[in-house]
Amino acid sequence: MASATANAPPSLSLPPSQFARLQPHAYLLAHLSPPPASNQPSIRANGRAPSQFRVTSANAGSLTHTNGSAVVRIGDTAAVCGVRAEILHTDDIASWSVSESSTAASTAKHQHLADLSDHPTKENKDVDQDSDAADDEDRAHVQGLNLLVPNLSLSTGCAPGFTPGAPPSALAQSLSHQILSLLHSTRLVRADDLRIWYQPPNLGPEDIEPHNEDEQMDVDADQSGSAENRQPREIKAFWVLYIDVMIISLAGNPFDAAWASVLAALRDTKLPKAWWDVDNEMVLCSDDLTQAYGLSLRGLPVASSFCVFEADAAAGWRAVVIPDAGEQKKGSQSRWILADPDGYEEGLGQERACVVVDKDNDGKGKTVIVKMEKHGGWTVDSADLRQLVDISAKRWDDMKRILDQC
Amino acid sequence: MVGPTASISNLNRADGSASFKCPTTGYDVLGAVNAPIELPTRRDALKPEEATVEVFVKPGTTTAGVGERYIEGILRSVLGKVVLGREKGFPRRGVVITLAIVGGGNVERGDSYLTILPALLHTSLLALLSASVPLSMTFAATTLGVTISNEIIRDVSPRGAKAAASLHALAFSSKGHLLLNESQGRFDFEIWEAVREQALFICQGAAVPSADGDVAMDEEADRTHLDGFIRETVEDQIHSEYNWKVDSV
Repeated sequence: MASATANAPPSLSLPPSQFARLQPHAYLLAHLSPPPASNQPSIRANGRAPSQFRVTSANAGSLTHTNGSAVVRIGDTAAVCGVRAEILHTDDIASWSVSESSTAASTAKHQHLADLSDHPTKENKDVDQDSDAADDEDRAHVQGLNLLVPNLSLSTGCAPGFTPGAPPSALAQSLSHQILSLLHSTRLVRADDLRIWYQPPNLGPEDIEPHNEDEQMDVDADQSGSAENRQPREIKAFWVLYIDVMIISLAGNPFDAAWASVLAALRDTKLPKAWWDVDNEMVLCSDDLTQAYGLSLRGLPVASSFCVFEADAAAGWRAVVIPDAGEQKKGSQSRWILADPDGYEEGLGQERACVVVDKDNDGKGKTVIVKMEKHGGWTVDSADLRQLVDISAKRWDDMKRILDQC
Repeated sequence: MVGPTASISNLNRADGSASFKCPTTGYDVLGAVNAPIELPTRRDALKPEEATVEVFVKPGTTTAGVGERYIEGILRSVLGKVVLGREKGFPRRGVVITLAIVGGGNVERGDSYLTILPALLHTSLLALLSASVPLSMTFAATTLGVTISNEIIRDVSPRGAKAAASLHALAFSSKGHLLLNESQGRFDFEIWEAVREQALFICQGAAVPSADGDVAMDEEADRTHLDGFIRETVEDQIHSEYNWKVDSV
């Protein structure tokens, strides 16, 4: 009996995994549009609904030798991010003295901002969000002096297509650029957190003499008086943040994972208290952990990527494109927008969309779009993008919960 | 307002070439297309049934960096969808587009590339047309800035981009599809829809393609929108190339 089954002719049907490799497009299409008779829901080959993201987990502070670090895993895509802070002396900036004297008019602003940052309250944050001069200062320092240096590495053997140890691929380079430009356009890191100040001591005799009058003065006059007497503070150095992202496993959608890991690592980053020591003429850092401070980031921009899967495999190379051709056949859905595509789905569609949203007031305010891009096709238009923004806003709530827990 | 200027087939050795100059942003881009050619590094495992589109961007004064890699990726994905890579003679070969930024401000590290994107797209489209590469559609692109007071400004210069609250680069196909959207800065969806409407008007003018996909030809309206500008540039070129024939008849 056993020999009879062994001699039986091989079955002519293919197992699903083989079918997925041979006919990837038909395989995914069969999942998304099951025959109406079968009563099955439209579902992706990986078991998710079209707008469902993969299971995401985040863990901060995994690397001990960095100032801040995080591991973010979205499905089978995992990114490790480490933030290392190094000191940049203003003496080492060639254009420092020139650029500072040109902005001498804004030193009062400087001083004002610095005073605010000593007692950061909610109002103060609102104040400097609104003021344009502070924005320009911020941009001039963070962007002009390149205080943020992100780098993304894919050459870790993360996927079969990427050889370990190879030079950075075009994808890795463009992801590095996207992270940097998003850091700049969201102005996530405040320049004020990265400045190292020096307050020259007041050596003149005025400090002691008006002491007696002080007692009669009211509080306002006292503050303005001391501010006038005080020597202006000067910036002696900056913290430069080297943000290194390693994709240790790549199964589609590297940008979301990389950005989430950057965000989690920056939230985890602690900078030691640093000051300029006149006697040694160098910047000294305190090794006291209680004096170290975290970065106060502007908002929490969360990225969500999407991929378009078209039912018609030939749609991409038809010579004549008739407008609204897709809408003519109303019977069946002709395309699906898949949230958080995995590697298999990314290979089946050219058209990508990425929406980065933020919400004001810790999620209670309205949704603000920080970045929205789509390219590689012509099917997604405003109605779809509106829907994607809504999905991204929901994703923001989930990501906030995950990042708050880590 | 001064419109852009363009010329076609100004390089002899390349299969097709074009230069595009936008006076308001100051960008001047020279582009060359070679197609179809054999690519030595091409791997047959990757989509053997169609042509590979390769884009190289060379900034004016420096070597190409990570920012250029990013913009090349965007151009590749937009143009790869427009080029008919399955036409006869194209599969397994390459369409190589080289774009040199000849004039205009430099894009600094980590700066936004959105201001130069329309010039790069227009140059590559004209160069592709000059090389007679089969395309499924033409397109036009524009960059719009939104100021803090929600005012939309067109043809943003790199300096203006720094002051803008948000920047939007959009490309529309000749049939009215949204081919590309790149937006950055803080904005909400209503602002974006206003930007999209304005951009569609800049790219296509008031001419709305009729149901059968034909565009009404109107000489007067052509000058004002970018789609008409592309069409007119190509018409002028064809006219000058066939001058001998017209004269002999």
